[in-house]
Amino acid sequence: MSSDEKPSAPRSLAEALRARDDASLAALLRARPDLVTPVPTDLTQLATRAGTRASVVRALEHLDRFTLQTAEALAVAAEPAAYEELLGLMAGDARDAAVVAALPGAVAVLREQALVWGDDDRLRLVRTARELLAPSPQHPSPTGLGPSVREATAGMSPGRIQEIVTAAGLPSTHDAVSAVTALASLFGDRRRMGALLAEAPAESLEVLDRLVWGPPYGQVTADPAARLRWLLDRGLLLPTAPGTVVMPREVALHLRGGHAHRAPEPVPPAVEAAATRPPQVVDAAAAGQAYTALATVEELLKDWDEGGPAVLRAGGLSQRDLKRTAVALDVSEPMAAFWVELAYAAGLIASDGEADERYAATPFFDEWLERPAAEQWVRLAEAWLAGTRTPGLIGGRDAKERTLSALGPGLDRSAAPEVRRRVLALLAGLPEGTAPTAESVLARLAWERPLRGPQRDDDLRSRLARWTLSEAELLGITGRGALSSQARALIGAAAHPHGPVTDRGTGSPQGPGDKLPFHHHTAPAHAPGPLSPAEQAVASASAVRLLAPLLPEPLDHVLLQADLTAVAPGPLHRPLADVLGVLADVESKGGATVYRFTPGSVRRALDAGRTASDLHAFLAEHSRTPVPQPLTYLIDDVARRHGHLRVGAASAYVRCDDDAMLNEILADKRADALRLRRLAPTVLAAQADPAALLDGLRAMGFAPAAESAEGDVLITRADAHRSPPRTAPEPVPEGPPVPDGTLLTAAIRAIRAGDLASTAPRKPADDGAVQAPGALPRTSPADTLATVQAAVLTGEAVWIGYVNAEGSASQRVIAPVRVEGGFVTAYDHTADEVRTYPLHRITGVAELADDEA
Amino acid sequence: MPRVNGPLIVQSDKTLLLEVDHERADACRRAIAPFAELERAPEHIHTYRLTPLGLWNARAAGHDAEQVVDALVEFSRYPVPHALLVDIAETMDRYGRLTLSKHPAHGLVLTTTDRPVLEEILRSKRVAPLVGTRIDPDTVAVHPSERGQIKQTLLKLGWPAEDLAGYVDGEAHPIELAEDGWALRPYQRQAVENFWHGGSGVVVLPCGAGKTLVGAGSMAQAKATTLILVTNTVSARQWKHELIKRTSLTEEEIGEYSGTRKEIRPVTIATYQVLTTRRKGVYPHLELFDSRDWGLIVYDEVHLLPAPVFKFTADLQARRRLGLTATLVREDGRESDVFSLIGPKRFDAPWKEIEAQGYIAPADCVEVRVNLTDAERLAYATAEAEEKYRFCATTETKRKVTEAIVRRFAGQQILVIGQYIDQLDELGEHLNAPVIKGETSNAQREKLFESFRQGEISVLVVSKVANFSIDLPEATVAIQVSGTFGSRQEEAQRLGRVLRPKADGHQAHFYSVVARDTLDQDFAAHRQRFLAEQGYAYRIMDATELLAEEA
Repeated sequence: MSSDEKPSAPRSLAEALRARDDASLAALLRARPDLVTPVPTDLTQLATRAGTRASVVRALEHLDRFTLQTAEALAVAAEPAAYEELLGLMAGDARDAAVVAALPGAVAVLREQALVWGDDDRLRLVRTARELLAPSPQHPSPTGLGPSVREATAGMSPGRIQEIVTAAGLPSTHDAVSAVTALASLFGDRRRMGALLAEAPAESLEVLDRLVWGPPYGQVTADPAARLRWLLDRGLLLPTAPGTVVMPREVALHLRGGHAHRAPEPVPPAVEAAATRPPQVVDAAAAGQAYTALATVEELLKDWDEGGPAVLRAGGLSQRDLKRTAVALDVSEPMAAFWVELAYAAGLIASDGEADERYAATPFFDEWLERPAAEQWVRLAEAWLAGTRTPGLIGGRDAKERTLSALGPGLDRSAAPEVRRRVLALLAGLPEGTAPTAESVLARLAWERPLRGPQRDDDLRSRLARWTLSEAELLGITGRGALSSQARALIGAAAHPHGPVTDRGTGSPQGPGDKLPFHHHTAPAHAPGPLSPAEQAVASASAVRLLAPLLPEPLDHVLLQADLTAVAPGPLHRPLADVLGVLADVESKGGATVYRFTPGSVRRALDAGRTASDLHAFLAEHSRTPVPQPLTYLIDDVARRHGHLRVGAASAYVRCDDDAMLNEILADKRADALRLRRLAPTVLAAQADPAALLDGLRAMGFAPAAESAEGDVLITRADAHRSPPRTAPEPVPEGPPVPDGTLLTAAIRAIRAGDLASTAPRKPADDGAVQAPGALPRTSPADTLATVQAAVLTGEAVWIGYVNAEGSASQRVIAPVRVEGGFVTAYDHTADEVRTYPLHRITGVAELADDEA
Repeated sequence: MPRVNGPLIVQSDKTLLLEVDHERADACRRAIAPFAELERAPEHIHTYRLTPLGLWNARAAGHDAEQVVDALVEFSRYPVPHALLVDIAETMDRYGRLTLSKHPAHGLVLTTTDRPVLEEILRSKRVAPLVGTRIDPDTVAVHPSERGQIKQTLLKLGWPAEDLAGYVDGEAHPIELAEDGWALRPYQRQAVENFWHGGSGVVVLPCGAGKTLVGAGSMAQAKATTLILVTNTVSARQWKHELIKRTSLTEEEIGEYSGTRKEIRPVTIATYQVLTTRRKGVYPHLELFDSRDWGLIVYDEVHLLPAPVFKFTADLQARRRLGLTATLVREDGRESDVFSLIGPKRFDAPWKEIEAQGYIAPADCVEVRVNLTDAERLAYATAEAEEKYRFCATTETKRKVTEAIVRRFAGQQILVIGQYIDQLDELGEHLNAPVIKGETSNAQREKLFESFRQGEISVLVVSKVANFSIDLPEATVAIQVSGTFGSRQEEAQRLGRVLRPKADGHQAHFYSVVARDTLDQDFAAHRQRFLAEQGYAYRIMDATELLAEEA
């Protein structure tokens, strides 16, 4: 459909978009998903939306450094610019081979993302992008270039311009415009410019040298020195404001050999290997750490089992509780915060929602606990990968100087999952068993998503990347710094059979570090974004398969020693661990567990209802070695004194002076449910609560009377504390999700249909008359714009139909004040304040007079 | 993937668990011994601990982090936590960044290989008074008199300095071992060699393993005048006796410097007590250290070294120092001072290993629990807190049990050891045995010891004065009726009384009589822990059982 339009160059972005095929539109919408929510009605609207400042900023922020540099170069080039000019700016006069090779890819990306349009002879940067990237005194460009000669001479008197032209050795012209053009072309001509500069005094050249890489502005006094005077006379420096001069762009470019950037970076910096270990070692180390992670999370939840710490009023965990948890887990506080957040992200803990809110394990925790260890780990790892909460921030302060507490608000960082995935993908790109240096990973990330503005080390993405590396190690995603096979499977990155050579030959100057020339431009194919739920399930299953054999097999025995310790030389079967945990105190944890028997711990086991002979049998059964005599003695000695006094719990009692009647009750089958027990001839204890007991006895034909609560023993031991069913917190993604193929196709079809409708010649519709009461006014975008613009001029109020970001429609009466950049700023009579509406969200506009009647 | 089934489990709390029955256990022990401190050695699993001091000990002995990591990774059953490996490397890396050495022009200097470290420590208020002028960016002069002080301070700051400043030879004096009919045991020889090679340091050997001979061997190496510091006079006499017997030294060459005698000879044996005697705020006997140009200083029972001696030792850093001890465990936790002032550990061997080689007697340890009578229970329950221990430790029933044990081992050499003089007097009376206590004169003590040695008397009741360094070769049974609360090293010393190899290969017996369900039992448990951890399992008996057996 677009073949017939090709010969004529597009005149606007909308036209350029119209000329694109569906695949390329899909690529645009995939790269800039914000454009498709809600689905634009036609390509004009899509183009408008693609040109809005917010969307352009977002798109620019997602460019890699070289592509961004290309965009910056375009911003300082002529409008429109030929590809050759751009190539000159990027590759310099010397035509740097790497840049020459990489540039077509960068331009393709810019085109695909609708930041650049037009064919190679007439490349145009979208206006908003140009405004953002072009140098101005307020926002110096990263290129360090100043304004062009034309811009710098804009306010200059024609006489002065003629003087400069003459001083530069050019013939004077009859008007200022042609003089400026002549001057610009002189500066742009390497040979003539070289000749001009050859005459320059050495001190003047020094001045130029200082300004050449920017900032291009300099201060001069009212009476400049001779070396400055020489430059000013020839327009090599132009005054911008009293006391300030600027080096025109053309001059700087000449001095730079044509380079717009001091250091174009066409090749992504390679991720360097810090160490390479056999993959088995890495996998085993990661599995060991994975096991520790499981043990730690379980320990944390066990610690909170009977009522976790209170929830702060502002949300989150108090510093004191975090400290206590850190001590209980025997880790540092930041690490404790990480584990707590991990359990939270995995949906294992939540607030219980009671009046005195506390954290508690969720019902899901019990379910999780029942799963095989490898599955437990995968669940944690998935939660970590997808989560937007960033434990690394805990302990820091937010913008309002409030401390960020664990589990508290303000910890979501949308970029986190993307950075995590990207870091892991970079790790996956290394040969198996290779650990990267953190610096090279950070450098690579900084290249892929450069910061606009000054570069800093502690920007959020770098910090996220650093946290990712350390958290991955903690969680057992990596082992000794290298990505483990199980984690590779989990993120859906297939293991490289022979280890690819990518990124290894860091010194190779030719070609980008990756094998494919524009690997990074087709990033989605190589660096998988979040997997779809189905893909993730498959990936997780294969991760489970890889991890399971690496986790230590639970043991069914311990070694008992005469110093009253028991050593479990590996993880224990859960029932065994549970009993030992009661019978003895844990002294040391890790691969093995060291338990110590003390009188207190043995008493605890007896309290838990075990008898001395139970314990002897238990130890004999699970000990590989004979039970040492001191231990046997200890158990007997504690048991000897245990239980002399008896304390029990009952919910209700039955008291009666007549033993016979109590006999009768006990003998009655219907009393079974009350679970009565005779404590003394005239007293029965019941496990049923008083109300049930009363009912039961009445049902049996007795006439019991309730006694006052005094003396009544209540069961106080609560069950393990659980929150109501809770779902894990939803990650807060950055912007809308990338639409899948079906949605994209549908969206594109809808846009095209709408486009056809709006661009097809139509009969003038008679509005107003057919408007059903309450229905939204509907006009074409062109009419809407025209009507609103007219309303600005007349100052009239109009009636619009509006669809907000959530998709709900409303009607409002507005008095438009300004229309620009696709937005209407208007006084909203409905809301009684000034608001701004995106034009594309306005369904239509109608004049108000009709309704007011 | 094949799982390497190593004998070692590395715990996250930096303990190492070694399964002793594993086929590679010996190899593993040898590999980790240089850097890990053996903490417990019960029958199946030995526990080692990684400490900064231990790792620096290893560095001082020439091991590097690579070796340590390799050893852990090689023998570990499970993957070693990465964080732990990083921590080891970082800790070990801290040793040796600073070096004390002799500069031809400036005397003692502190040099660094890492300038920021030097900057950091020079900023410390505690270091500033110890150093002199900055010679170059990496070197600073140190007052020679502060050599010990600065080492101590740097260790506290976490940057232990390597002392390469060397030693003075001291005044030469011929000393030879007189190996007629006996020879240094292999481990003693090894200990002497390690010490001499390392310059200064501590040798850890169990009681009864012949630490005195390690001292003698080192003196024969040094061939120089020697100052020996011991705990008390009896111990001093024993050293003298042993040196005359085992070396070429004669009685005239050995002086005793104690409360009663003040002899300064080429080899002088002084007691800690006389050195730390203080009159009018000064230590009058300190000049002993300067009275001769000593070539070697031997510290017996380093773990008891009193604080003032540390202070003097700090000034003696140019002399070779040998520390001898059964345990580096100090109840006061000053292990780091031993490290920085005497020197790193140069040799150690666990008790059980030396016992297995037949050099110390195997021991049968029994704890006998006695019941308080009903009247005593009531009295105990109402006793004042500070009286409680004394009350339960001296219960009447203990006497009966002690008598029963003495009767059981009639004819063997028996020591009864206790804390409370009343109790001991009473026991002495009932057992018809002499009592040695604080007030017994040294002459009387030696006489009693001698007749005990000769077998003229077979039961001896001693108070804690006999805790240290008395040599009673033929005691085969020790009965402990009360102790200094929960002191672990006291228990070790007392067991040491019966661990010397017996002429007839008799098994040694160590009985500890404690009152059930009282503080006594708690203290006993604490004291025994050390020995149980050394692999000496206690049997626990009821007094009734013991008395019934007898009947």
